[in-house]
Amino acid sequence: MSDSTKQDCLTVSRRAFLKTFGTSAAVAATAQVEAVAEELQKANQEKIYGPETVPITLQVNGSPIKLQVEPRVTLLEALRNHSHFTGAKEVCDRATCGACTVLLDDLPIYSCSKLALEAQGHAITTVEGLAENGQLSKVQQAFIDEDALMCGYCTPGFVMSVTALLKKNPHPTAEEVQHGCAGNLCRCGTYPRVLRAALKAAGVPLTSQTEVISYAKLA
Amino acid sequence: MPSWPEKRSYIGSLAKRVDAPAKVSGAAKYSSDVQPEGWLYGMILRSKWPKAKITKINLEKAARLPGIKAAVLAREGERIVRFYGEELAAVAGLTKQACLDALRAIEVEAQPLPFVVREEDAREESSPRVWDEQPNYSRPQPRDRGDVDKAFGECAAVVEGFYSTPVQIHHPLETHGNTISWTGDNLTAWSSTQGISSVRDGLAGNLNVPQNQVRVICEYMGGGFGAKFGPGVEGALAARLSQAAKAPVKLMLTRFDQALAVGNRPSSFQKIKMGATADGKLHAYQLESFGTAGIGAGSSEGGSGGAAFPAPYIYTVPNTRIAQASVAVDAGSARAFRAPGNPPASFGMESIMDDLAVKMDIDPVEFRLRNDPSEVRQKEYRLGAERFGWKQKYKKPGTSPGPIKTGVGCAGARWATGGGGTQAQAQVSPDGSIEIRCGTQDLGTGTKTVIAVIAADLLGLKPEQIQVRVGDTNYPPSGASGGSTTCPSVAPAICDLCTNVLQELQKHSGLAEVRGENWLAACKKLGVDPLLVSGKWQEGLSGSGAGGVQFAEVAVDTDTGFVKVKKITCIQDGGLIVSKLTCESQVNGGIIMGLGYALYEERIMDRHSGVLLNPNFETYKLPALADMPEIDVVLLDMPERGVIGIGEPVTIPTAAAIGNAVANALGVRVGSLPITPAKVLAALGKVDKPA
Amino acid sequence: MKSFQYATAASPAGARHLAGDNGRFLAGGIDLLGEMKEYISQPDILVNVKALPGLDRIEASTTAWTIGANVTISQLEENAELKRVFPALQQAAAEVGSKQIRNVATVGGNLAQHSRCWYYRHRDILCLKKGGDTCYARNADNKYHSLFTGNTCISPVVSNLAVALGALDATVVVQREDKPLRWSIAQFYAKAWENPTAHNSLEPGDLILKVEVPLAQQRSAYLQVSEKSAFDWALVSCAAAAKVEGGKFSKARIVLGAVSNVPHEVQAANDLLEGKVLDDGLAEKVADLLVAKAHAHSENGYKVPIARALIRRALTSLAA
Repeated sequence: MSDSTKQDCLTVSRRAFLKTFGTSAAVAATAQVEAVAEELQKANQEKIYGPETVPITLQVNGSPIKLQVEPRVTLLEALRNHSHFTGAKEVCDRATCGACTVLLDDLPIYSCSKLALEAQGHAITTVEGLAENGQLSKVQQAFIDEDALMCGYCTPGFVMSVTALLKKNPHPTAEEVQHGCAGNLCRCGTYPRVLRAALKAAGVPLTSQTEVISYAKLA
Repeated sequence: MPSWPEKRSYIGSLAKRVDAPAKVSGAAKYSSDVQPEGWLYGMILRSKWPKAKITKINLEKAARLPGIKAAVLAREGERIVRFYGEELAAVAGLTKQACLDALRAIEVEAQPLPFVVREEDAREESSPRVWDEQPNYSRPQPRDRGDVDKAFGECAAVVEGFYSTPVQIHHPLETHGNTISWTGDNLTAWSSTQGISSVRDGLAGNLNVPQNQVRVICEYMGGGFGAKFGPGVEGALAARLSQAAKAPVKLMLTRFDQALAVGNRPSSFQKIKMGATADGKLHAYQLESFGTAGIGAGSSEGGSGGAAFPAPYIYTVPNTRIAQASVAVDAGSARAFRAPGNPPASFGMESIMDDLAVKMDIDPVEFRLRNDPSEVRQKEYRLGAERFGWKQKYKKPGTSPGPIKTGVGCAGARWATGGGGTQAQAQVSPDGSIEIRCGTQDLGTGTKTVIAVIAADLLGLKPEQIQVRVGDTNYPPSGASGGSTTCPSVAPAICDLCTNVLQELQKHSGLAEVRGENWLAACKKLGVDPLLVSGKWQEGLSGSGAGGVQFAEVAVDTDTGFVKVKKITCIQDGGLIVSKLTCESQVNGGIIMGLGYALYEERIMDRHSGVLLNPNFETYKLPALADMPEIDVVLLDMPERGVIGIGEPVTIPTAAAIGNAVANALGVRVGSLPITPAKVLAALGKVDKPA
Repeated sequence: MKSFQYATAASPAGARHLAGDNGRFLAGGIDLLGEMKEYISQPDILVNVKALPGLDRIEASTTAWTIGANVTISQLEENAELKRVFPALQQAAAEVGSKQIRNVATVGGNLAQHSRCWYYRHRDILCLKKGGDTCYARNADNKYHSLFTGNTCISPVVSNLAVALGALDATVVVQREDKPLRWSIAQFYAKAWENPTAHNSLEPGDLILKVEVPLAQQRSAYLQVSEKSAFDWALVSCAAAAKVEGGKFSKARIVLGAVSNVPHEVQAANDLLEGKVLDDGLAEKVADLLVAKAHAHSENGYKVPIARALIRRALTSLAA
C-alpha cells in the first residue's frame, strides 16, 4: 500500500468521515453527532499493525507474558522461540499433526496456525499449565499409568486434546475419543494406549490387554 | 559371573516408564527445546532443481539482512546437485522470520540438467544418468542354488506374481537437527540422534576438532527409526554457523526438509515365481527384483546395493535363482529404516506363499507349518491361529457374502538383534541415592526404564530410587541404538554393573547383606565420598534372533475400495522380558508402522518436474487413531534365551499379513503397497481404462 | 511467510478498504496461512474479518436458517437442532479436518478455500492455476483430481460444506462493493468451471456475509470416502436432499464433491427421481446420469465406482 493510503487508514479524520456520510454542515442534530462519533471510533479501531514487531500480551497458563513480535509470528513460535513454553512442539507447521495443540479458552487449536497477535485476549493453556500445585492432572496421570507415550514428542498435543475433550464431554465413548483426537498424529504408535488413557481418565474401567505366555509351556 | 535374579519384582513387570512424568508435563527438553543463552535460529536453503550444475551462490545480500548473524555455503565451488532438496547453504539469525527472509535473498545461479526420478524411467537405456560414470541400472547376474529350471519341472503347482512396495519415509515426529554451542574450542551438541558417539565423531571429523572436545547430549529425542545416525549435513552446518556467529545455533529441519533429504526405505518391484511339490513343500523359487535407494544406489552387479533384501526370506527352498539390483534416481538417498530390507522381503515372500497355498487348496497357516523351518515360529503360528480364531474366520478367497468382504491373512518374521559392547557406571552416595550413567539412547523405546527396573531388582530397591542418566558422550559408551540391539546391550551391562555395586558395597561397608532394607545402612558406611562402580556387557545374559508371527483380519468395502483392518494378533518372541510395559508399546508401534506401510504411505516424485509431491502429512499419510484395529499382543516368555531386542521384528510381517487378508477377502490380489481404494477397485475390475 | 501488516476490519467497507490491492481477508486462517507459509500467497496486509458485527450467528426462522460467514465449523457440527433439520450439513461439517481445525475454521473460509491440488500447493511448481501454462496433473499424478472440468485445470473443489449446501438449495450472500450478491452454490463456484486460475466466483474485495438454507421439509444425507478413516480429504463426497413422502421422492438434489472444479450436479439426474419410489435400478440410472460425462485421467478412474456407490447409499439412506 502506498504511504498516502497508509496515512488514511491509520486515522480517519472527522472531515473525511462526514464526507462519506454526505452530512452537510447545516444538519447537526445530537443523534447524528453521536452516530458519527461512534462510527469514527469504529474506524479508528481498524488500526494497522506491523510489518515491524508489535508489543503483544499473551495470557499463558494464567499469567501474562509480554512479547515483541512481528504479525507473522505464530502462537507456536511465540511460545517456543520467544518464550520458554517448549511443551507444544513444532512437527509439521501446517495444521496436520496436532503436536502444537494448545487450548484457546478451552478449545483445542493448532497453535502453528494462529497468529500470536490474534491469541491476545484469550486464555491460552499449554501442557505446562495442567498440573495444579505440583500434582499432575487426571489426564496426565492416566497417560503415565497406561503408557500412552513413547518418545513423547506427540504427547503434549495428545494430552491437550484429551483434556479438552473430557472437559467438554466427561464420559466419551471410544468413537468420540477417536473423533476428538483425529487431529493428532503419533509415529511411535501409542494410539491404542492413548485411547485407554482417555477412557481411564474418564473413569471407564479397563481390562488388561496383552499377555505374557511361557514358551516352555507351549505344546 | 553376573546372572539374572531368580526373584523378579520389577523385571518383567508393568513398572511404569520412568520418564513419563517429564514427558506428559512438558518438562522434558528435546534437542529442539534447549535454549542456551543467546541462541540463534538456523535454516537451510535447498535446491529447487532435481539436477543442476550450481555455478554460483551469492550470500552477500542475505548476510546483510537485519538479524542475520551468519551465512555459510554447504560446499565451496561449482558442484552438481542430484536431488530436489539437496543442501545449498544455511543461515543463522535472531528469529525464524529473519532466516526465512534471508533464504529468499540468497542468489543461486544454476544450469538445470536432465533428471530422472521414477524407477521405471531410470531403468530405460535412454534415461538421463544420475551418475555419469555408470548406468542407473544394470541387469543383475542371477545367483543360482540347486537346479531351479529342473526343479520347476518337478513341481505339482507353480505360481507367478508381481509385488511392489513404495519408498517409505521415516518421518519421526521430531525432525533431524541439533542445537550447537561453542565454548572456546569445545563444542556441545544437543542432538536428536540414535547414536551420540556417531554424532560426536562426525562433527569432530567435519570441523577438525579433537573428538574429546566434542560433547553430544541427547536426553530426550523424538524418534529415529534408523534415520538418525551421524551429524548429517544439517549438524555440520549448524556447527559452522555457530562458529561463525559466535553464538549457539538451533537448526532443526522442517517437515518439508525431512521428507526430502534424510533417508527413506528403498522401494521394491519383485517378480517372483515359486513352486511346490505335491506334499506342499516349497521346491523352486525365482526372484528378479529392483528398487531404488535414491542417488545412494549401490553397485548393480550381482544383486547388492541399497535396494536388496533377503530372499526367500525366512523360508528355505532347495532350488533358487535370485537376481536383485538397485536403480539410481535423482531423489534423496535411502537410510536404514526399521528392519532394513525385511518388510519388502516379507511382503513379496508371504504374498506368494498365500498365492501358492490358494492354488494348491492348502490352508495358508497349514502351508506355513509345512515350510517354516523355525520351531519357535511353528509354535507361534499354532498359538496365534487358535487365539486369533483362524479356523472360524478363514474362508475360501472372495467368498464372504455382501459388498463388505472380510478376509484373514498371516505372515512371519525374523530379525537378528543381539547385543554387546555397552559400558555403564554407577555413583552410589552415602545417603543411599544412586545414579546410573550410560551413554546409550532412549528413543521412546524405554531404555531408561529397562535400566531402572534391572537396578531395582538387583539392588532390592524401587525403580523410583534409581536416578537414570543416558544420552551424553561424557558417560560410558554404549553404541548406537539400531538393529534392535539396545536392550540386549544395555541390560546385561546394568546387570553386571549392579552385581559389581553389591560386591563393592559389601567390601566397603563390611556388611554381608547390602540389598533392600540393608541398603541405607551399607551406604552410610561409605563416609563422605560416593562409591564409583563400573560395569559392562557380559556373555550369557542376552541372546540373538527374534521372530514372530502376525495375523490380520480386514473388512474391504468392494463398492468403494476402502480397507479397514479389524484386528491384528501378534505372537512375538520376548526372550527375557525386562520392561513389559514399554516392550508392549514397542510391539504396538511396529504393527502400526506396518499398517501405514500397508495402506497409506508412499513417497511420490513428480516425473516431469522432479519434485517431491507429498512433503507433508496431508498427502504422505500416517496412520492415526481412527485407523486402529484391535491389536492383540502375546509376548512369549523365554528367559533362558536372555534379553533380546524387539523394535524391528514386530514391524516386518504386518503389511504382508494385511495384504494376504485383503487378497483373501477379495479373491484377487492387490500386489502393490500401499493398498489404496483405487488399487482395490482396479483389482476388482471396476475401473475403466482412461479414455 | 513474507512479512505483512495486520488490521481488524470493523465493517465490510472497511475490510475492502484495508485490503487494498494486495490484501487478503483472514478468518480462521487454516487455508490462508498454509498458502502463505509456502509463499503461494504473499499479501501485504491481512485483514481480520472475525470482528465484523453479526456474522457469527446461527439464526433460524420459519422459512430458513441463516448461518453467518464467521460461524465456526465446530459450531455447525455441535448444533443439535441443525443436525435434526439439515443432517447433511452437520455430517459434512463433522468431517471437515480435525477438531483443532473445526474450532477456528469458518463457514465462509470453508467455501472460499483454495485448491488442494499438490501441484498448486507446491512452492516450486508454477502450474496453470497459478498463472503458469501447464496443468501438471493432467499427464502425471492425478489420483485425487477431477473427472469433470470446463477448462484445462483438473483441480477439484474440496469443500465438504459446498456439497451439502448445494444439495440443500442454499444461497450464499456475498458483499461486492456496496451491494450484496445472492448466489446459489453453483453460481458461487461457476467461475472455476471456465477459468483455470479461479477457485470460485469471488473477486478481490468480495466478502462472504452469510449462507441461507431454506426449510423445505427435506431429508438430507452426506457421505464421503477417504483413504484414511478420519482427517483426510474426501476422494469423493456426495450429498443428497429430497422430500420423501410415502417413499416417493420429490425435489431431489444430488451433488458430488471432489470430482469436478465445481460441485457436480446434473439436473436430469435430480429430475429422474421426481415422484418415484427408489429401487436399485433407479439408483443406478441416477448414478449413470451423474457420471455420464466423466473423463478419467491416468489415475483417477476409480472415482467413478466410488461416486456410484455413494450416490446409491445416499439415496438409500433418504428412502429409509
